[in-house]
This record gives sequence, C-alpha cells and structure tokens, in this order.
Amino acid sequence: MDRRFIPTGVARCSTSRFLMWLALWAALLAFGLYSAGLCLVEGLNQTHMNNRFAFGLWIFLDLTVIALGAGAFFTGFLLYILKRKELRGVINSAVVIGLMCYGGAMAVLGVDVGQPLRAWFTFWYPNVHSMLTEVTFCISCYLTVLLIEYLPIVLKNRKLRQVPHFLVFEHELHNLVYVFAGVGTFLSFFHQGSLGGLYGVLRGRPFAFREELGIWPTTFFLFILSAAAVGPSFILLTTWLVQKLARKPLVRPAVFESLGRISGLLLAAYVLLKTVDTIVWLRRTTPRSGFLPAQYYAWKPFGIWLLFVEIALFLVPMAILLIPKLRARTAWLVPAAAMACCGVALNRFVLTIQTLALPTLSFDRFVYYLPSWQETGTFLAVVAAGVLVYSISFRYFVLFPEEREL
Amino acid sequence: MISEKKPGKICRYGMAIDLDKCTGCGACMIACAVENNVPPANPAATDLTGITWLRVFKVDNGEEYPRKESVYFPMMCQQCGVETPCYLVCPQQAVDVDPSTGIVFQMPERCLGCRYCMAACPYHSRYFNWWDPKWPAGMEKTLNPDVAPRMRGVVEKCNYCHGRWHAARERAAQAGLKDIIPGDYVPACVEACPAGAIEFGDLNDPASAPAQAAKDPNSFRLLATLGTEPKVYYRSKRPWAKRIGDPSQAPGSKETSRG
Amino acid sequence: MRNTRRNALKFIGGAAAGALLTPVPWRLITDTALWSENWPGIPRPARGPITARFTHCSVCPAGCAVRARCVGGQPVSLAGVVGHPLSRGGLCAAGVAAHQLPYHPARLTHGPVEAATGAIARAAANCNPDAVAALAACNPADGVAVLDLRPGRTVSWTYRRAMGALKNGLYLTAGGVFSGAAVDLSKARTVLSLGAPLLDGWGTPGNVLAARAGFRLIQAEAIESRTASLADRWLRIRPGSASALASGIAAALKKGSVAKAAAATGLTQQQIAGLADELTQHGPALVLPGADCPEAWALNELAGASGITVVARQEAPVPEAWNRNCAPVTPLASVADGSIRTLIIDESAPADYIPWNAIRPKLIADNPVVIAFTSSPRGYARHSLFTLPTAVYPETLEDIPAAIDSPRAAFRLAVPLVAAPAGVVNPAEFVARAAGIDATSALRERADAIRQAGRGVLITYADGRTRPVAQIAPDDFWKALNEGGCWLDTATRPSAPPHLDWAGIDVQPAESRRWPLVAVLAETAIAAAPASPLMTKLDQESNLRLGPGTAALHPDAARQCGVSDGGRAVLETALGTCPIRVVVDASLPPGVVQVAAAPETIDICGAGARCRVLSL
Repeated sequence: MDRRFIPTGVARCSTSRFLMWLALWAALLAFGLYSAGLCLVEGLNQTHMNNRFAFGLWIFLDLTVIALGAGAFFTGFLLYILKRKELRGVINSAVVIGLMCYGGAMAVLGVDVGQPLRAWFTFWYPNVHSMLTEVTFCISCYLTVLLIEYLPIVLKNRKLRQVPHFLVFEHELHNLVYVFAGVGTFLSFFHQGSLGGLYGVLRGRPFAFREELGIWPTTFFLFILSAAAVGPSFILLTTWLVQKLARKPLVRPAVFESLGRISGLLLAAYVLLKTVDTIVWLRRTTPRSGFLPAQYYAWKPFGIWLLFVEIALFLVPMAILLIPKLRARTAWLVPAAAMACCGVALNRFVLTIQTLALPTLSFDRFVYYLPSWQETGTFLAVVAAGVLVYSISFRYFVLFPEEREL
Repeated sequence: MISEKKPGKICRYGMAIDLDKCTGCGACMIACAVENNVPPANPAATDLTGITWLRVFKVDNGEEYPRKESVYFPMMCQQCGVETPCYLVCPQQAVDVDPSTGIVFQMPERCLGCRYCMAACPYHSRYFNWWDPKWPAGMEKTLNPDVAPRMRGVVEKCNYCHGRWHAARERAAQAGLKDIIPGDYVPACVEACPAGAIEFGDLNDPASAPAQAAKDPNSFRLLATLGTEPKVYYRSKRPWAKRIGDPSQAPGSKETSRG
Repeated sequence: MRNTRRNALKFIGGAAAGALLTPVPWRLITDTALWSENWPGIPRPARGPITARFTHCSVCPAGCAVRARCVGGQPVSLAGVVGHPLSRGGLCAAGVAAHQLPYHPARLTHGPVEAATGAIARAAANCNPDAVAALAACNPADGVAVLDLRPGRTVSWTYRRAMGALKNGLYLTAGGVFSGAAVDLSKARTVLSLGAPLLDGWGTPGNVLAARAGFRLIQAEAIESRTASLADRWLRIRPGSASALASGIAAALKKGSVAKAAAATGLTQQQIAGLADELTQHGPALVLPGADCPEAWALNELAGASGITVVARQEAPVPEAWNRNCAPVTPLASVADGSIRTLIIDESAPADYIPWNAIRPKLIADNPVVIAFTSSPRGYARHSLFTLPTAVYPETLEDIPAAIDSPRAAFRLAVPLVAAPAGVVNPAEFVARAAGIDATSALRERADAIRQAGRGVLITYADGRTRPVAQIAPDDFWKALNEGGCWLDTATRPSAPPHLDWAGIDVQPAESRRWPLVAVLAETAIAAAPASPLMTKLDQESNLRLGPGTAALHPDAARQCGVSDGGRAVLETALGTCPIRVVVDASLPPGVVQVAAAPETIDICGAGARCRVLSL
C-alpha cells in the first residue's frame, strides 16, 4: 500500500505488520505522554525526587543518552573530516539515532524543570560562569544541526524527491555537509565536556569535584573521551539490532570492524586517563576538601565494588575490541559494545545519583531514591518516540545505503 | 548577576549561633516561615520535600547513655562568601550576590526550576516548591507584604530577611542617613529566638557578635575546608560539638536516628 | 510604489528589520517573563499602613507579651516584647504563628454541632442558654456543672458566680495536687525535674531560659526528651517509674531505705541518695513533678524549698461582691459519680486535656447533656452532645492570670486584634445567661478592683514605662490594659504554699505480655495549644518534633510489632484504640512507645499507660 514511499531496491515487511509494530510503540508513547502530562499539570511532586535528590532518573538518563548519541557527531567527524569512507554505510542511521537521543533529552528536560515556560531565560539572561548555560546553548544548537542533517535523509525519499524544490534544497545541503559536520563536532565537543563539567565544578560535592585543567575540570575531558569512545559502540549495537530485527545484512562487516576498533582505541585512552584522574581525586583532591575517600563508599549499596565495576565495564570491552580476532566475531563484538554502553551509563549514574545520595554534612543521612512510575513512564515515552521515528525512517528513507548491494 | 554597588559602607552580614544555648524549640523556624510567606505543607510533604528555609537538627555525639550528648543545630543558608556555589552554577542568573551586604539572594521570579543550585549546595539549604502552594481560606490575609509568595517549580532559600533590610534602608533614608541604623536590621529568626542563641551582625564590624565569634577558638564553620567561606559561625564549648563542621566526621554506615 | 506582492514583502521585511532597532521587541520579550512569573492562585499580600499593637498570647497559660506587626490592622507577624519582666521578650514557636489560628482549616466556626450522630443538625433542645437554665431548674437533684480547664481567669469567677446562683451548680476544675502553688525559678540552685518539660514549654519559656544559668538541672526521665538532652544531667529511669523515684528521694530525705526505689527505677541506691544530698546541700532546691507523679510536689517541703522556690500562688484582686455567693472551687476527682446531669466544658482557652474517662463517671449514666465550648473538633467535641464554636486568639478579649512560674500576681489582657467570625459563642455570656446573672462587664469590674486595691505597677509596652497603679486614673488603667498593658503585683515576702503530706505512693509498672510497651506522652506542652498550619515545619517537614497522630518506636520494637517507618498502625491500651503513624527512632529505649500527646491519645493513655502497637 505504501510501496510508493519505500525506497527502490530494498524489501520491507507488509504494511499491516508495520502498523502493528507502530501501534505497540504508540501505545507506550501514549502512556508515557500521560505520565509526562501528569508531571506538567500536577507538578514535580509526581516524581520521587526531593530536596536532597534534586536530580533523579531523568537527568541520569539524559546524560546517558547524550553520551550514547555522541555516535552521531563522532561518526560524522570520522567520515567527513577524517575521511573514514567505510562509515558512509552508517552515517544516516547515526544521525537519526543522534536526533532521537538529543530530541528525547530535550523533551525530558522540558518536563524536568519546574517552570518550562521560562526555558528561554537561559538564552536571554545567560550566566557565563555556569556550565549549564553552556550545555543549554550547545545542545540547542546541536539539535538544530541534527535536524538539518536529518533533512537530506528525509528529502531523499522517493516521493519527496519528485518535488523539484526539495531536490534542489537537498542538493545544496549536501554541499554544506562538511560545514555541519565540523560545527556539530565543535558543539558536541563542548557540550559533552560541559555535561561532565556540570559535576566537576561542584565544589560542594567532593565526590564529584575534580581539579582543573585550564578552565575546565578533568571530568570535562573525560566525558568527551568516554562519549567519543562509546558513540561508535552504540552505533554498532543499534546497527546490529536493526539488522537482527530486519533479518538481513544492512552494512558491510568492515563497518563493524572499523567502529569496534575506533571504540577500542578510545576506550584505552579513556581508561588510562580515568585511572590517573581517579588516583589524583582520591589521593589529593578529596583530602584537600577535608573529606576522606572511605566516606564515599561507606554506604550500602554504594560500596567500593561500584568503582571496580565501573572500571571493569570499560576495561573488558577495551580488551575485546583491541584484539582483532575477537573483534571479528560478532559473538564477542556485540557484547563488548553493549558493555561499553553500560559502562558509560554507570559512569553517568555514579556522578548523578551517587553524588546526591552521599551525605556532605556530618549530620546528614544517606538518602535513597527510586523513581516513581511517572518518571519511568516519561522516559519510556522518549524511548517509544525514538523507536517510532527510527522505524518510520528505516522504512521510508535510506538509512543504510549499502543495503541495496547486500 | 552581581548587583551594582550601592552607596554606603560595605557590610558582610553573618551570624553567630551558640549551640550551647539553642533549645531546639523551633520558634526561629516558624518565625522564618511567617516572615517569608512560606506556605503550609502539602499533606504529602515529608522532611525531604518540605520547605524550611531554616531547619533545626538534633545532632548527637554518637555515644550511648550515659555518655550521650546532643545539641540542637539551626541550619540556614550559609551565605557563602567565596566561589559561592549556587551563584556560579545558575544558568540564568537567578542568584544575586549583593556586594554591599554579602547576602546571596535568590530570585524565584527568574528561576527555571532546574535545581542545579540544589545539587551544588553542600549545606542543603535550598528548597524546591514541589507542589503548588496553597493557603487555607483567609490565611492569605496574614501574608507579609514585604515578601513575594512563590509559585510551584522554583527554588527558594534564606536571604537573611532581605525585605527587612530594605525596610531598614528606607528608615535610614528617611532619617537622612546613608547607612542602616545599627540594630535596626534583624532577621526574623534572630528576633524570635527566646534563648538568644542566634546573633546577627556585620562581619566587617569588629564589635559585632559574628565578628567576635570568628575569632573565638570555640567557634567553627560548617565544611570550612571546602573553601566556600560561609558566614555563619557556630560556637560550643563541647569538644565533640566543635567537630560537627568537620566533613571527615561524617557518620559511617550506621542506622540513622530521627532528627 | 506599485501595489505588487514583491513591494509588499519588501515593506514588511523592512518594517521588521526597523522594528528590531526600536526597544519594542526587546521590551516585549522581557515583559513576557512576567506572564510566567505570576500564576493565578498565588495570593498577593495586601498592603496598608504598618502599625504595632500589643497584646498577650493566650495560647497557653504563660501569657507572654506580644508585639503584633499589623498591616492595615491585620496582624501579619508576632514577636515578644523585649525586656518584659515576665516573658523576657520570649515567644515560643506556637506563639509566633498564633495569628494564623483563626484561619486553620479544621477550626469550628458554626454550630451547634451534634457529635453523637456526626451530622450538623439543629437538635430539638437548640442549645440556647434558656434551655440550659430550664434543664437546670427541672431536676434539683441532678447537678449542673461547669468544668473550667483554665481556672484563675475572670471568666472563672463568672462561672463560680453563675454556679453559685444555681441551686445545684458546681464549679469544677481539674484540681491537681498542688494547684495553689507557684514556682520562683530565680531562687533555685538545683532543680530536679521528674519528667517535666521544663525547657520545652513549661511555665513561661522566656522566664525559664533567663533563669537557666542560675541552676543546675537534673532531668529524670525514661527517654531523651528535649529537656533531658539540654539538662546538666540526665538520669535515665525505667518508663513509668517517676513515682518510685520520688518515693526513693522522700525516703532518702527522711534517712530511710531506698532499695525499693532503686529496684523500680533502675538507678543505684547511691545515685538516689546522692540526689537527695544534692537537693539539700546545693539548695535552694526545686522538685518539679511530671504529669505522671504530681504527688512529688510534696518533696519540695521535705527538701526545705517551701516558701523559697515553691510559694503560694497569688491572684489579682477581685471585686468584693464576687466573693459573696460564688460556688467553691471543686476538684473534679472529689465529685460523686453519677451526680452531674448537665456538664458545660469550657475548652475555649487551650489547656491541659483531662482524659474523658476521668470525666464520664461523674455524669449520670443515661443521656447526660454535655456541652463543649471549643474551636477544635479534636478535643471534647468528640464526646459532647453539643459543641458550640468559640472565638480563638487573637479574636478574643480575655484575661490571663499569672503563670505557674510567676511568684507575683499579674493581670493582663489578650485583646482582640481581628474580628471573630459570625456564629461563635461567648461561653461566659452563655453560662451567665443560663444562671440569670449579668457578667458582661466582668473584666472592667476586675480591672477597677485591681486599680482600687492600689498595689502593683502598670507596664505599658509602646512607651516602655512602668508606673505605680496608684498614680493612674481608672479609665486610663482600663485603656492601657486594652492596649496590651500588664499589671504586676508588688513584690512581697513570699509565703509558703499549702502543706502537702507525702503520700508515699509506690507504683510499680506492671509487666504484661498483653501490653508489652509503655506509652510515654511527648510534646505535652504543645498538645494543649491549637496549632497554626505552619507548625508542620516542626514535625512533618523536619524531624524536630513528633507531629499529631504519630508515635515513635525503637527499630527492634517496630520490627517486633511488624510496623515500619512511616507505616500506619493502631495504638491499643486497656482504654481503647487510636490510629497512629509510626516513626522509627533508634534513640528510644526498646520497651517504650513515644506518643505525640493529643486528646485522642491522652484519652487512651494515661501517663505511663501500658499499651501495644498493632500493624494494620
């Protein structure tokens, strides 16, 4: 029925099956929108956040998806600036994933703040000292860049190409793709870093506070590096997942090989720098702020094991991805990529949730936090919306140019 | 945002709190809520979601009877003087540090409700309006006209009763003076304390109670090693109480008690 | 210019670009901020001329002096009067927000409320004073009584005169072992408090704190109450053993054996003997009983404190005419069972709540008529047939007698700062009309009598002056009192309070498998006081106090009862049940449940009642 819209040379499932798939995710989206609506109408008391736990599930997941969505900018950087031609096969998919991640993060942020109507205040009364100002500006600009990068993918659709204006427009955009890739890289560098800087500058939270390199805390650089390292892994993971769901090859194996190797190399750099940073933090920064490292891990369930798991979740995939024989086999490659993604999620979790749970005053108590169903629902809305957008894009646009040959 | 410097002498307002005098009666907490139009709690509010610009804690020395000792510890915004964490992190300059008073002033009208300042504050002295504030019918008549009530979704905190500072400046101006008449500007908690445990004054004035507390060997500040230069000095003759401000004295993983 | 589309577009584009150079769009952007800065539903505080008015707080018997900051006549905040000889400028947490009492959502404003059916219905008797008078007249054998929970006021005299005018009228008070005594803290050097909340609302808080540095405080209590944590020494005794400790000290003072007391309290014999020595050697001493051992007042005489720290309570002069034909003060406990048909309870001024099971037996078995004057639905309104709403502070005009810690007599008025709502009833007028006497100008008559007696001084707060009463004209005196002035009697040589024999009560808290826990009432000082809605700051929004309807348990006890922190449960004693919310507190001893004092819980717990906690 919608044959006319599906790109030439590729096979897709029947319309009714597709609609059923969409209906499933649309139902989840509806539930999620209801949850978000409750939070907007009734207020943030619908969540389990409180004055000690000012940030909760949403901020943690925002940071994680932005790190995972870094695959978009990094793949673009690798393809258009460093000329890694094999990545042409996944760049479109990466852009859509990036759009989902960043769009979802911004949507959740709109629900997370107490006064969404005042969102424009950050742009009108910016505070140059604040990392969050920088994050807001860069993410907004980068979302715009992603939308612009998404536009050619949309406009290349069989039917839309028939409109001359769109064809010309798309062609002109294509000429500018290097500019957008460069701008995207620049913006992403800063906002990935500033997201790390958000916590690294918190003098009042010695668990998160790090010393400065230049004007930025070390978490600034560590976040950029971890995002760059895990971005390709996430693209790898999602491509593999889509291949599994579509039951056909979509990219050449060289792409996976390339993504895995890049990820492995960056993970190695990250693990090295993170280890150095951790040692400096525990041996120098923490005592200088008057705290003891033992205090960080004295509370159940956040024991010292958490630190070791965090390191392991980067170390193990790094090892796997650096060994060519293991990298070549999907059975090792995909779990390694998944572990790297979990590692970055744990890293963001530790910096958001554990930071806030730990007492700072000597008479504070350790605070527990579990998200409410409204919070979980809102985030599921983002996931559902992402799946819906990706599904529609996959069906009607060319996300994997190499699919036709395979 | 840093306000413009106003004419007159530069003050650094601070507090001196005597822990050996505080009885934990809570009159200061209620006086603060009355003065600053803090709404009554939503029925679902707890001690983690309520709004208590000033909150008194019961802190003990961790021993069992008969060696157990407790003090009552009033906590409010410490008005950090250097590298004020909340001021530095607010993305839209909703926090204003006034150079002529040193008071860290929160502007709920500008606040987006992102709560980054709450994550930044090590003293947990910032409070978020998780609910729409509701006053029982008629109680809105008892609101203080010098303070604007806030709405849902914004952060608020102690500002040393800034409305009273403005009123004192007006009175001084009417009397033809450039500076506030000494003793004319007193926050509500200081006025309300029946035991006189909270004293207020200008740290730049060597005769004021906070300035003298700053030199007192029995005084301490909370988390002084963080380098935020809080302006609230706590005083106690008890050695264990003097260590309350030391972050490495934070409790280990033992069962927490009420308070 | 031709009318083409292109020209039109050029014009619009140019206008837009030009507008950007004007302040208009930039102001509009900034002004839109206003739209998000004000929600409907956020009240705007009213403005008006700011004045200061003076009154006295009638929320508890202390009667602390109050300076009210009024905006357009409406009090918006309250503070103490600095330098006041009685209250020393102190005002407690309840007093600071008491101007919000009239607007408490649970406040009763209309009636009569018939409690029995739970419906607001006008009953046949209509509960008007003439009906009560008729009831009083028809059955001379059945008594009419007024239970005055806060005696000593001028209204109390009105009740006494009214009951005196009736053939079968009784004037009842809670009585109490030592109601004729007052305490002079300034003379004390050693204070032994047997669980009294001395530093937590006892007496006049400002006065207690001003005298604090002058005495050493020993608090004997089962739990670490606020006073215990602030005392110079806290003696942890077994729950419910305060009477036993009093016995032990009495025995030690009389050089007898303290073995039984030591066994009951868990203290050593040396500790008890040492306490007695401290009282005699580091005197003048003061022994303050808690609610569960009032007989311990007698220890003061044994410790030689009579006439020094414990003195006879003084009362302000009353008109001669009142002394004739007024009913005597009758303690509730001395009334025969089943002898009261009509009981009028004045709960309009907050006071200690007497458990209902102490009152019910005094009423006739079938259909007694109980009329409660109150503004709270939680107190006697639950037990009364008719509940008549009364005005609350600061709507009322009433006098406040001197508090327990004032050795000198005092007379001060709580003056109305706001108007009472329509529909409230004045209990004194009601009772006076029922008895057929006229008491509308009772306060003025009292003030005139004080002025005529010529003793004492008048303290006025606006000007901070203290003048001898003899120099003031009667009208000026009355006017000054209505503006918040305070009359204070001349200091005279204190006289000893009435003699009290030491009864030697020996109470052993009984162990019981059925009732494994001992109930300790907490926040007793606040239980009496109605609370502003902001008082949640102290309990719900912080953990400073136990809020109404909560009870605290040690974690082990909570586990044994199958309840968890924040969970709902039922408190059960031999007298009944009460729903509670559980708070877990590791600082409590395991066998104790600390229950927030409130009428519902006082009804089922006495002091030291045995109880159990059941999970729902």
